[in-house]
Amino acid sequence: MIQFEYTELSSAEGQLQAEVREFLAMELPRGSFEPGLGMNAAIDREFSAKVGAKGWLGMALPTAYGGHARSAVDRFVVTEELLRWGAPVGYHWVADRQSGPVIAKFGTEFQKQRFLPAVARGEVSFCIGMSEPDSGSDLASIVTSATRDGQGWLVNGRKIWTTGANQHDWIITLCRTTPPDQVSDRRQGLSQMIIDLRSPGVTATPIPFIDGSADFCDVTFDNVFVPDQFVLGEIGAGWSQNTSELSYERGGPDRWLSTYLVVEELLRLHSAAPSNLLPDSVLDVLGDAVAHYWILHQLSLSVARSIDKGGAPAVESALVKEMGTRFEQDVLTAVLATVDRAPNMVSESPFERLLVASALTAPSFTIRGGTNEILRSVAAKGLR
Amino acid sequence: MNEQFSADPLLVETIDRLLAGVCSADEIEQAEQTGWSSAVWNSLAEAGFPWVSVPLEAGGSGGTLADAMAILYGVGAHAAPAPVAETGVLAGWLLAGAGLSLPSGPATVVADCDALTLVDGRLTGTATVAWAQQCERIVALVANGDADAAGYVVVSVNPTQLEVSSGRSLAGEPRDLVQLDVRLSEVEFGSTTVSPADLLQRGALTRVVMAAGALNTIAQMTVGYTSDRQQFGKPVASFQAVQQHLVTVAQSAVRVNIAAQSAARAVARGNAGIHVAAAKVVSDQAIIAGTRAAHQAHGAMGVTREYPLHRFTRRLWAWQHEYGSAAFWRRQLGQQAQTAGADDLFPLITR
Repeated sequence: MIQFEYTELSSAEGQLQAEVREFLAMELPRGSFEPGLGMNAAIDREFSAKVGAKGWLGMALPTAYGGHARSAVDRFVVTEELLRWGAPVGYHWVADRQSGPVIAKFGTEFQKQRFLPAVARGEVSFCIGMSEPDSGSDLASIVTSATRDGQGWLVNGRKIWTTGANQHDWIITLCRTTPPDQVSDRRQGLSQMIIDLRSPGVTATPIPFIDGSADFCDVTFDNVFVPDQFVLGEIGAGWSQNTSELSYERGGPDRWLSTYLVVEELLRLHSAAPSNLLPDSVLDVLGDAVAHYWILHQLSLSVARSIDKGGAPAVESALVKEMGTRFEQDVLTAVLATVDRAPNMVSESPFERLLVASALTAPSFTIRGGTNEILRSVAAKGLR
Repeated sequence: MNEQFSADPLLVETIDRLLAGVCSADEIEQAEQTGWSSAVWNSLAEAGFPWVSVPLEAGGSGGTLADAMAILYGVGAHAAPAPVAETGVLAGWLLAGAGLSLPSGPATVVADCDALTLVDGRLTGTATVAWAQQCERIVALVANGDADAAGYVVVSVNPTQLEVSSGRSLAGEPRDLVQLDVRLSEVEFGSTTVSPADLLQRGALTRVVMAAGALNTIAQMTVGYTSDRQQFGKPVASFQAVQQHLVTVAQSAVRVNIAAQSAARAVARGNAGIHVAAAKVVSDQAIIAGTRAAHQAHGAMGVTREYPLHRFTRRLWAWQHEYGSAAFWRRQLGQQAQTAGADDLFPLITR
């Protein structure tokens, strides 16, 4: 049975929201930077370090490891503001959202001390090593192998669709540590390894993305040695750990804010027009968008609150991601319909540049982090 | 069922049990044939439920607006054929605010204030009014058109003074055509601080809350039916194509439930902001998607009169068009966005 309890921000949470808004207005005034599209935003180590210095990274990590022992709702408040501002969150994004939390949950003392303080300072970055050329939605079919070698493991194989592997520091890699013919269920015999992307034998090659950008990568592992101390959690428990990691990936504001700035810029553009009166067609697109953002904000907040109450809202997160990502595309379609000229890739207009970037990356929204088809299956099982 | 509007949990349980008992298939069908169910109305009225949120001193049952919303959620969840929203939350609220007495029986309101005019002490107009023939009072909010008296007036009219012709919503509930032509001297009236926008907002809230209840019932019913119904040797719910419908219905129910809770709190606080407008847009869109998916998942069984799905989907289709459609509220939200401006758009959404 799914549970979405209505919740609101407390006054302290509202205060945090105001602080983040103030920080962003000071640090990144509108017009002073090229805003990004949600989690696809630029990599900017300096900015990540500043966010870390504010205490807004690794918020839910334990204080003993440099974290702030804050709530999931606090993190929701911060990330929602960063994303809707188009802030350059690319460097710390994955580390803050999922790598830090899974290391805190499954990692050894050594790993927690090694990584968590850096996550909280915004000084380390991670990639997600799940998909392979022949394993997308059917993740249990992965073939990247780790075989025993002295005091560690030798990893061989290939991961794909790995955002930022050519620029980030580490990759949490799902590997097969027991060959599939020696397990009764393909979900057994899998393990997670924390691998330094600069290790000998690791090659990250960009796969040019649909919009021409080059941070989508193919990562090959050729006899990459991983010392035992970088095995995450238990050998053989990779599947359940990975499932837990995925739950951090879904249900957050990154799943419905990717194209928010297109809407805000549409309003800015029309407000600047001499008449200052918006056409009805634009009012209707804005009104519809406001209603959708309003409800997605509340549903996402409800998921965060549930985590703080000790819940495991995996099904709820899947439901939010499924509707949130569809909306990210729908709202873009609606905004595009108000534009009376074909968007041009070379433009002086911030609105048009965002429109172009959104149009070219929108198909990925309903794929990354689990396709909508898979999410619906996950959700449907939880409804029974 | 989730936490409800911060209402008294005992009340939530009581209303659920009461309506589950009285709203049988036969009773609802009978109400649709005759336009009224004495059994449903009497059991609600005996407990004072239709007047919850109207202060005791004004002749109501007391209690909070949250309590009244929990009752309306139950009305939606059980397809209760009775003017509960109209009697207390709408008509009772208008009457109490104008210092007028509440009738002992059901009361209703004229939703469309623009349909009426009050000039030279004479109230005229034609409007579709929910449950008009069955109510003891029709309550209208109208701008005082007389030059020396600005503001709004609440008028309480006995339907026997009017020409009322019978009509039915898609759910088969009375939506009667009322022709008003009365002199103020012949009816009860009082001045009020309530505006037509307030009434529209409150009316929209009642529809969203009832829709939340009905969609929740539909979601459960659809999961249940598709788990029982077997084709190709297995439950149809095990097919991915059917699962997609289940997800759509669940999402619709969840969205409207949270929207209703949020809007109810905002109205109770006296600062509806964008909440009611956004809730009605969300609700109307969820009704379209949710009822379509629920019917598709039910196949032919769902379009029969014997299977209960239609009692809920038809009500949802009726409520969707009442107190402002999605198109109306969407335009309102667009105007609020315009007023806020780009820099304050996100604060408007998350306020």
